[in-house]
Amino acid sequence: MKTIKNLVVLLVIFSFFLVTQAYGGEKSILFHAGLGQRGALNEIKAVFEKRNPDIKVNFSYKGSGYFIADITRSKQGDLFMPGEEFYLMQAVERGFLTDYDPKTDIPAYFVTVIITPKGNPKDIKTIEDFAKPGVRVGLGNPRSCAIGIWHQKTFKKAGIWDKVKENATLSAKCIPELGNATQHRAIDATIVWGTTAVLYLRDVEIIPIEHKYRGIIRLPVGILKFARYREEAQKLMDFILSEEGRAIFHKHAYAVNPVIPVDKQSFCLDGTTDQDMEYLVNAAKAVKDDSFPVTKKTVGDLTEEVIRQKKTTRAGD
Amino acid sequence: MAQRYRGGWWPALCIGIAGSILFVYILLVTSNWIYLGWHDTLYFFSKSRMWERFWLTVWTATVSTSFSLLIGIPAGYALSRYRFPCRYMVASIIDLPIVVSPAVVGAFLFGITTRFPFDWISEYYGIYIGRNVYGVLLVQFTVTAAFCARLMKASFDMIPTKFEAVSHSLGASPFRTFFKVVLPMAKNGIIASMIVVWARAAAEWEGLMLFVGATEGKTDIMPFAIYLDWNGGMMGWVTSMSIVCILMAISAISAMKIIGGKSNVW
Amino acid sequence: MSGNRHSRTTYNTFFYSFAGFLFLYSAYLFLSNLDQLFVTEAAIKTREITSWGEDREILNQFAGGFWKDPYFWKSLNLTLVITIMTTFIAAILGIPTAYALSRYRIPGKSVVEVLFSSLMVMPGSVVGICLIVMFNYGPLWDLQNWLGFKFAHSIFPGMLIASLVLSFAFGMSAWKSTFDSVNPRFEQVARSLGSTRWRAFKTVTFPLAKSGIITGIILAWTRAMAEFSAVLFFCGTFRELPASRFSDFTRFLQMDQADWLSVAVWAQVEFGNIEYGFALAFVLVFIGGISVYVMHRIGAKGYVW
Repeated sequence: MKTIKNLVVLLVIFSFFLVTQAYGGEKSILFHAGLGQRGALNEIKAVFEKRNPDIKVNFSYKGSGYFIADITRSKQGDLFMPGEEFYLMQAVERGFLTDYDPKTDIPAYFVTVIITPKGNPKDIKTIEDFAKPGVRVGLGNPRSCAIGIWHQKTFKKAGIWDKVKENATLSAKCIPELGNATQHRAIDATIVWGTTAVLYLRDVEIIPIEHKYRGIIRLPVGILKFARYREEAQKLMDFILSEEGRAIFHKHAYAVNPVIPVDKQSFCLDGTTDQDMEYLVNAAKAVKDDSFPVTKKTVGDLTEEVIRQKKTTRAGD
Repeated sequence: MAQRYRGGWWPALCIGIAGSILFVYILLVTSNWIYLGWHDTLYFFSKSRMWERFWLTVWTATVSTSFSLLIGIPAGYALSRYRFPCRYMVASIIDLPIVVSPAVVGAFLFGITTRFPFDWISEYYGIYIGRNVYGVLLVQFTVTAAFCARLMKASFDMIPTKFEAVSHSLGASPFRTFFKVVLPMAKNGIIASMIVVWARAAAEWEGLMLFVGATEGKTDIMPFAIYLDWNGGMMGWVTSMSIVCILMAISAISAMKIIGGKSNVW
Repeated sequence: MSGNRHSRTTYNTFFYSFAGFLFLYSAYLFLSNLDQLFVTEAAIKTREITSWGEDREILNQFAGGFWKDPYFWKSLNLTLVITIMTTFIAAILGIPTAYALSRYRIPGKSVVEVLFSSLMVMPGSVVGICLIVMFNYGPLWDLQNWLGFKFAHSIFPGMLIASLVLSFAFGMSAWKSTFDSVNPRFEQVARSLGSTRWRAFKTVTFPLAKSGIITGIILAWTRAMAEFSAVLFFCGTFRELPASRFSDFTRFLQMDQADWLSVAVWAQVEFGNIEYGFALAFVLVFIGGISVYVMHRIGAKGYVW
């Protein structure tokens, strides 16, 4: 019967697919990374795979807090790059990472910024404005994403944590949820990393935080003990930590200055990151306003990002 | 005398409600496209990334549909024709994967991948089913096999048994009866069900969220890719992929109505 | 005719085996995960590191001690209340629509049918995205500003609407096939005897279609309970928000700081509270199983999921 013949043909095609999938013959590194690093890591993957054609990189993106449970259960993974050093230390405590050196294994830093929907309807300019009544604030869940820890830290330092909690409208499981909510005007203000803010240049306003509340977050990378392709993973890690890798990170609005003075709680002490903040604010202006000049002096390394975002009215590739 | 619309508030109410709901639904499915705009739509549709996802969705749905048809047709026949004890219980248990939320199904599948037979496969072949396209196929199969059995039962229910009885009395073996008498009569139903099951497989993604990680290009079928891009803030990709998914669903159902014709299962 | 009987037995066994395979697969899927409810050593150690001030003592019990946790009861409450309201609204809107589509000649009826049917196979994430785009942009956004509250990320209009979309589609399909199977001649006879259309519907069609309508209601309710992605996209989670953010009405119904059950399953499993997540999943499976069994016993025919 025709249906049965169709089915048989489909099954034959399927078995061919099975064969090609199972014996790919290539080494693929499994890279656990936080959702906040997606843009930069995709570019790093493209460059790395072009240089080493027989190594493939597979990312497994999750909110940072979910890594421990997943790695414990699946016992798989070569490289690990959560959004905050805190989560890496959890893995070190569990014995998943053996040789992590805090001095050399940090490719880049996140910097916190305030973002508001386009037009800044509630006129938020400083951290203290978050405690104003009627402001809908988006907070992160510290158990599941790195930004949640920083929300707590920043607002506790400013002494307004209780008031801000009363204003909370959204409790995000992962940082892109905060960015999306701002883009859709579901919240009035929130704090995110600069690298997340740079994805939404057309739809948000970026406001730098003053020095004493601006957090510098160390972004670590390490090789797990379950690694199946240890040499290849080491190659990738060396590439990430090299000058070229750091330049790629800088293009996505990470801070890559080798030394940034911070106090004990990792709030920054001086204006080392001011230049990056200025570039970010200019980039936001440049995407919205066609007459704003896009040069290396105004937006620094973010030129590619700005040009890419000007191509479409809606955020995207 | 021309028969105009004559009377009663009841038909007006019915048609009014139907019309307003229709309006809301049309607004729902086109709001994506209005948001995106014509220029952006063309831009995103020209990128190869979209079509890679589309092809992945199409072929995984086809493969899992073919497997589930193979299992679902006989199972539906058995459920429809045989009277065995506690058949309601058996039918309910077979139906369970499609009744509960697909996220729950994903959680359960995630639970059984750590035990037989999957850990054995992991050990010997080094394929962890949870990160591969095989995981996608498994999730789709779980949901579509039960769905297919349900649909097949409904279409076999509509074929009276007297045809088979006549065929048996004329001396045909039971298998010959099945292939030559029952299946051709159920042909429309089978084709219609095949298309619907395919569309359902292409729309299954919540099971993938817990169970299979997101490996770009290998395991993110279209609805899953929408979720991932939504988490990356790429609204342009999200809305354009939603448009493609909506068009896929609508064209599958239209194909079913055109080809399926008189089979009244749906 | 022993040859005939042998081939008959093989024939029967052949078909039984396929149904048996599906049955065993489904049973294995659900029953073998029962041991996930028991807490293991590794789980306790993991939780030492990742718990943030939650009550670890409760979590380290069998099945996460879910019956002692107020979050579970509030979530169950929230889900049941909202799904019942959704089913009610779906019935009020869906039965007239199904009747109209079944009886009246509307131009472009087949297009309308295709549109409504395609909702049944549409992925939930697409529905969620469409809802967000529809409500947060354009004229509806201004309407919400004027009304003073926002639909997205809220319990009352938000979750209702998110679960209403698909539940309505399923219910309407079931009701339409019910009305299709009731011979229109009965109504015509009633009308020729002088009754109005509404009265004909109420006294003739409705009782004949009663079992089909009940089937549709149960179907719509089950589908609303199984909704996951539309609720996730449109509403998110509410557990961590402060109690003052919820209105008095919500707190009176004991629905504050709770989540939709399917979303709660996903959230708990992702956090690593496997036992708790699986306990919630089993509760959902139990509820779903009962409703399916009821539908089978009623003898519902011609419905599809």
